[in-house]
Amino acid sequence: MSTPDLDPRLHAGALDHRDDHAPGDEPLEDVGHWVRNANLGLGFSIVLTVAAFLLAGSNIIYAPAVPVALIVLAIAQMGVHLVFFLHITTGPDNTNNVLALAFGVLVVALIVVGSIWIMDHLNQNMMPMEQLMRMQP
Amino acid sequence: MTYTGLPASVEAIRRVRQDPHRLGHRAHGPGEPVEGTGHGGTGPASKRIIVGYGFWIFLLSDIVIFACFFAAFAVQRGATAGGPTIGEIVDIRRVGFETAALLLSSYTCMLSFAATNARNRLWTEIFLLLTGLLGLVFVALELWEFVELAGRGITPQRSGMLTSFFGLVGLHGLHVTLGGLWLATMMAQVLLKGFRREIIHRLICFNLFWHALDIVWIGIFTIVYLMGSGA
Amino acid sequence: MFGKLSLSAIPVSQPIPLITSIIVILVALGVLALITVKRWWPYLWREWITSVDHKRIGVMYCLLGVVMLIRGFADAIMMRTQQAVAIDAPGYLPPEHYDQIFTAHGTIMILFGAMPLVLGFMNFLVPLQLGVRDVAFPTFNSVGFWLTASGALLVNVSLFIGEFARTGWLPYPPLSETAYTPGVGVDYYLWAVQISGVGTLITGINIVTTVLKMRCRGMSYLRMPVFCWTALASCLLIVAAFPILTATLAMLTLDRYLGWHYFSNTAGGNPMMFVNLVWAWGHPEVYILVLPSFGIFSEVFSTFSGKPLFGYRSMVAATLFICIVSMLVWLHHFFTMGAGAAVNTFFGISSSIIAVGTGVKIYNWIFTMYGGRVRFETPMLWSMGFIFTFVIGGLTGVLLAIPPADFLTHNSMFLVAHFHNVIVGGVVFAIFAGYEFWFPKAFGFRLHEGWGKAAFWFAFVGFWVTFTPLYVLGLLGMTRRLQHINFPEWSPWLYISVAGVGILILGVISQVTQLVVSIRDRDRLRDVSGDPWDGRSLEWATPSPPPFFNFAVMPNVEGEEAYWGIKLRAVETQQLSPEPEYVPIEMPVNSPVGIYTAFFTTVFGFSMIWHIWWLAAVALVAAFAGFVAFAWRDVQEFEVPAEEVARVDRARRAAREALLERLSRQEALP
Repeated sequence: MSTPDLDPRLHAGALDHRDDHAPGDEPLEDVGHWVRNANLGLGFSIVLTVAAFLLAGSNIIYAPAVPVALIVLAIAQMGVHLVFFLHITTGPDNTNNVLALAFGVLVVALIVVGSIWIMDHLNQNMMPMEQLMRMQP
Repeated sequence: MTYTGLPASVEAIRRVRQDPHRLGHRAHGPGEPVEGTGHGGTGPASKRIIVGYGFWIFLLSDIVIFACFFAAFAVQRGATAGGPTIGEIVDIRRVGFETAALLLSSYTCMLSFAATNARNRLWTEIFLLLTGLLGLVFVALELWEFVELAGRGITPQRSGMLTSFFGLVGLHGLHVTLGGLWLATMMAQVLLKGFRREIIHRLICFNLFWHALDIVWIGIFTIVYLMGSGA
Repeated sequence: MFGKLSLSAIPVSQPIPLITSIIVILVALGVLALITVKRWWPYLWREWITSVDHKRIGVMYCLLGVVMLIRGFADAIMMRTQQAVAIDAPGYLPPEHYDQIFTAHGTIMILFGAMPLVLGFMNFLVPLQLGVRDVAFPTFNSVGFWLTASGALLVNVSLFIGEFARTGWLPYPPLSETAYTPGVGVDYYLWAVQISGVGTLITGINIVTTVLKMRCRGMSYLRMPVFCWTALASCLLIVAAFPILTATLAMLTLDRYLGWHYFSNTAGGNPMMFVNLVWAWGHPEVYILVLPSFGIFSEVFSTFSGKPLFGYRSMVAATLFICIVSMLVWLHHFFTMGAGAAVNTFFGISSSIIAVGTGVKIYNWIFTMYGGRVRFETPMLWSMGFIFTFVIGGLTGVLLAIPPADFLTHNSMFLVAHFHNVIVGGVVFAIFAGYEFWFPKAFGFRLHEGWGKAAFWFAFVGFWVTFTPLYVLGLLGMTRRLQHINFPEWSPWLYISVAGVGILILGVISQVTQLVVSIRDRDRLRDVSGDPWDGRSLEWATPSPPPFFNFAVMPNVEGEEAYWGIKLRAVETQQLSPEPEYVPIEMPVNSPVGIYTAFFTTVFGFSMIWHIWWLAAVALVAAFAGFVAFAWRDVQEFEVPAEEVARVDRARRAAREALLERLSRQEALP
């Protein structure tokens, strides 16, 4: 497609790379910034992962709270990945990325939570499959 | 009352009308759209942005596929049909190694991208190779797990729970394997063609893909393995 | 060596598929022979098959859709006539055959008829309306089209090699599991739909990226034409919902091929999970079809009323509202499956609420007409027919959204009448309105108005005569998908319905006649100015058909209805804007990767259906190798020299001068 750089209609700086970013892409940031992000991301992720592994099946916290704690740790680590590895920020240059992510999270939540809710109710109200099969002639 | 002497509500409206995100309506003004917000009011974005964003959208669609497999696992987690439960098949130690391998591979992937930004071909290739090797370790550990389970007669054909377990974990492993093939192709392209514009765009996409796989793995090891082991 | 494939797969004992197959094969061979004799292969290869131009791809999508609509219509004729003659009688279609026909009818109409047409319109129009040169990923676009064509090919191959599914257009387990359908029918369905689903997803990603990241200068979000908003919403739904279909069909495929237990009857499988997941796709799917249709109507109403669209911002809001809420209603397709009162209530309420968005749109269209100078040309007739038809269909939908009412009408002919009411009234009418409206833009000459009006009236009357009896039959207790009828008191309604089919056939004939006559008279009907309807959006600023680069210089937009502003200013100042400075343009090169990938994907699908494992592996490797070879290419773009751009644009400006003169003399602009 026509590279806008060739079009004199557009004034200089209109397509400055600072205006807009895809996730994980910051072309004007220097190498040190990248490496620092990578190190921070790795560090936080290791802490969260180790915590999760230690927590599972242990008695460190009130046992019924463990699944919730694991989910919280998982969400936190996903956030660490998004911010440090994929460089999702809240600046105006990232609005499209955040909105797309939010839309994706909504869809995933609807599918997972919706399916669990619906199937739970269906399973409760329906005759168990083994019993149904035994009714076959 | 604010410093302009106007009621606070009117002042608030004025502020909204000047917001850089253009949430207010200014369809018929002489005003130029404000720059720096990436809203396209300044013409089409550069190819780099377009490629990266398009791949981001594709990744979201891939995440939705995983969501369906997660949902299936959540629904069928108890459907063991008299066979083994999830707690009886998880091996936390091996999963720990798999997680470490994948997390480190995400780290090396990022470092390779830093090297790409610095246009350093040697370090890009080195870190890409490390990423690939760590990914290979992950896949090998997972295959070992599957082979071991099959040897004990624990196969997806045994029960609904096992079907959705192997399906979810296997789908992720399949993605890692395909990512590995892609990685090998990228290494060859960087070696033979250098840092051409299209190659850098593809490396951006590969980065997104690899990090997304690690994000999905966080979900898997938490929900399937860690929560399963407690069951 | 050939898996399950053998000569017995050819239906020699069934006259209807056999004769149909022979005719289709002869016609296909005839077309290929004609192309060869006339030496059109180089032209076709260069200009169409390997084209990455969104306009060409859009036209090919629409052509595919039209051909498959005809096949789906043929299935419909068979179904209606069978039910009319099979009252206390066997009819002429045995059950095994009838079941394949209603399955094929639904699958083809939705996935291979309506979807390609809607995708085709979006592909053709969105870059033109946004003032840019192509979609975000032009070569990928070509791959997407050819994969859709590949899926359609597989469905058609099932007619003469093997059989199609007998499960209904959504293959519910356990019937679709291997234990109850060991034949290849469901496998044909699975691979055809999976492959074309990938194609659709590609268009979805393409259009979302194009709309969000590639608009011409000055075109902020709230200055986009409403069609682009609806295309965006529809493609966001494609990206969100089609993966659900991919995942669900993949699970069914694993069950069938490897004996897994996602949806099986035994060992912990859960057939109801299929129903849940597939409708989580299925409901957004119908909104994927209807939202761009609404967009088409928005364009037609404003153009043929001579007024800007009423309530632009509320239209955008309603579109996004429908987009989000459409993901919250899917259980209304299986209220009767036993989810209980709480779940049913939630989805019943959400299904009623979603009607509000459409209601806003209907009022906006009506208020667009109010106070305008309405021209009753063919696209406007289709749009007004839509308002009447779709509102009634939507009302029956809200009726079905109430769980207690749905318990009586679920899977009855009432439901069948409802969804045909909204899909035909909404999507099919929009396709014809859009076809009549944008045909001059795509091909450079207008369509014959008289035959167009005839086609509309036959279709409109024919639709109501066909489907009103089905509402009645549903309330009388008739279930859907019946191969024979045991209640003679239903017969009057079935006969009326067949009469309606006859009227619809006249409509199809009129539509075809219109095209033939228009091609014959194309010099008289030539669209010289590029703006035959007094349009308001940017596609009407281009010549008909547009040059492959769309715009010589990308426009600079300063308000809503970009082209209308340009036109008004030209009339006021009595001159065109000054000639711009022409610069070279970079355009993407053509690529055979689309047809190459689709060819091997078709071979792969066919091999998987018939369990020819070695061939499947070969095809997969070949497809992958092709992709890598494509990734290795060194030349991605070619440069169009400034002189050629100037030459094309000066011709356009000359035509516009003539138009301006005509407009000024008539003072036609209000």
